[in-house]
Amino acid sequence: MSDVTPTDPTSEPTIATTSTTTSALRCEGLTKAFQGVHAVNGATFDVPQGQITALIGPNGAGKTTVVNILSGSMKCDSGTEYLGEDEVTNMESFEIARLGLMRTFQLSRELGGLTVLENLLVAPKLQPGESLFNVFFRPGTVRRAEQVNVERALEILGTYGLYAVRDDRARELSGGQKKLLEIARAVMASPRILLLDEPMAGVNPALIERIGGYILALKAQGVTVLMVEHNLNVVEKICDHVIVLAEGRTLATGRLSELRANKEVVRAYLGEVIDARPPS
Amino acid sequence: MTAVWYYVFTLVFFLFDYFILAMGLNIQYGETGILNFAYFAFVAVGAYVTGAVSLPNSVGTGQHYIFGWGIPFPFNLLMGGIATSLLAVVLAFITLRRLRTDYLAMVLISSSLILYDICNNFVPLFNGADGLYNVPPPFASVLKLTTNSFIPFFAAVTGVIALIMWFVMSRITRSPLGRTFRAIRDDDTVAAALGKNVFRGQLKSMIIGSFYAGIGGGLIIQFSGSLNPTAWLPGETFVVFAVIIVGGVGNNVGLLVGSLLVETLLVHLTAFLPAIPGHPGLIEYIDAMLIGVFLMVMLWFRPQGVWPERPRLSATMVRLLGKRGPSVDEARVEADVSDAALNDGSRG
Repeated sequence: MSDVTPTDPTSEPTIATTSTTTSALRCEGLTKAFQGVHAVNGATFDVPQGQITALIGPNGAGKTTVVNILSGSMKCDSGTEYLGEDEVTNMESFEIARLGLMRTFQLSRELGGLTVLENLLVAPKLQPGESLFNVFFRPGTVRRAEQVNVERALEILGTYGLYAVRDDRARELSGGQKKLLEIARAVMASPRILLLDEPMAGVNPALIERIGGYILALKAQGVTVLMVEHNLNVVEKICDHVIVLAEGRTLATGRLSELRANKEVVRAYLGEVIDARPPS
Repeated sequence: MTAVWYYVFTLVFFLFDYFILAMGLNIQYGETGILNFAYFAFVAVGAYVTGAVSLPNSVGTGQHYIFGWGIPFPFNLLMGGIATSLLAVVLAFITLRRLRTDYLAMVLISSSLILYDICNNFVPLFNGADGLYNVPPPFASVLKLTTNSFIPFFAAVTGVIALIMWFVMSRITRSPLGRTFRAIRDDDTVAAALGKNVFRGQLKSMIIGSFYAGIGGGLIIQFSGSLNPTAWLPGETFVVFAVIIVGGVGNNVGLLVGSLLVETLLVHLTAFLPAIPGHPGLIEYIDAMLIGVFLMVMLWFRPQGVWPERPRLSATMVRLLGKRGPSVDEARVEADVSDAALNDGSRG
């Protein structure tokens, strides 16, 4: 398919371009191999604007690798990625972040030596105080930006129930708090698109409920969310759209209820018949 | 004044000088996480350039060196600092773009060995193995200072410079830029995911730190009037590392304490030991061993250093910014966090 130009009217439209809703994030034919193992093998999908999309699939389907590629933490071998209209394939992680795509990590990666509040304060993009010149010659500008950021950070910490631990070092937080901090920090960066890599993993039911609420609140604010998730109850409750990945390929997309009727999806992921053979 | 006093002022000079050196290495290693094992090579380059620009034209001096412009203090010092920063840019582009922690450290240590060999063997540069000597002491002729009265004078000058540089460094480490440095130190992948250009951040930190190395080196050569390669063997870098580890990584005031304990007390106290007959140079080895043992004891019992990094508390930030925090219902929020359910979530 890669030799077909998207402007060619005679070409068959690919699955990715048939979608009528505008997509916030789109990738076509992503591949990534690790010493011969094809972790991602032609993943193609759309993440619709302003919705919550789930990325599901069995372990080893390449979900985290896809998230790493989309966020620029990893380079793909081939394929293309678009953020809205802009092609961002294999751009540096920080450039993609500056375009408004923020990600969280499957295993929480807090900035351990910084306080919880500082973790959030790092997040705003291109702060005036990050320039040496401004630090010494425009202290007023730096200070005003700090005022706004500190105020906003404390507010977000309040929302996420982390206000009381604002002065603790991030490495001292509990596992659940670290999960919340990951999301809060990404939110602090005012993302257009949020990539959440298993935000509910290793989290108890009460907190799952809360995190689900936060994600819905973000959607209400117009943030597009793509989340890797194994908990199908959560997916059912909060996700508008589901992408099933298996063996590095997009197996199917649609609503979860539709996918439950899809035999391939059921076999690959949803259960009933579990194929325990290792991938050949 | 008695000889003891001159010795004391020499110690004071080294106290302040190593405070400056430690601040430079601290922003690179303590704040940004760059394991710069080439640090003392930067110090030496700063010293050589400061010396070479302040010496007169080399013709007829019996020495070989570049520059020889007779530039007075403090401009020679600034040139030493700037030259060192430029060297940092070159090395950063070679090493920092691709390499991470351990490999970076290895490449940096080999770079320092290469620099050492060049300075030691390429005589036209900085007089080879003889090193530079007869570097004019600043203000000595203007103020009619003798060799002895120069020592307390220059120790005081160094103290003032250290104070200014401490002020500048605190401004940097407390700014959002310093915060970004620490984010890169703690996890550069996260920093990049938050839109921080990690290479640029590391480059800035290298430039700032190397400027400090250059100034510290320039002060050394002006204090002693000479510098040859035996004074900056690669092992010297570890004395500066010892200063910041003992004092407290990431804390500028702690560095002064570290400088006092390691550089002033440990390194120079051994000079009071009587020479051991038949074993010339043994004292220096005892010195190195003492630093090693002291470092191990510190890492074992107080790894955070005497005066560790203290994060800025939200109340301080809010107070300094002159605004009250948002009206968050603290009681509710505290209840939220101490929620037993939340803490159960720690099993991942």
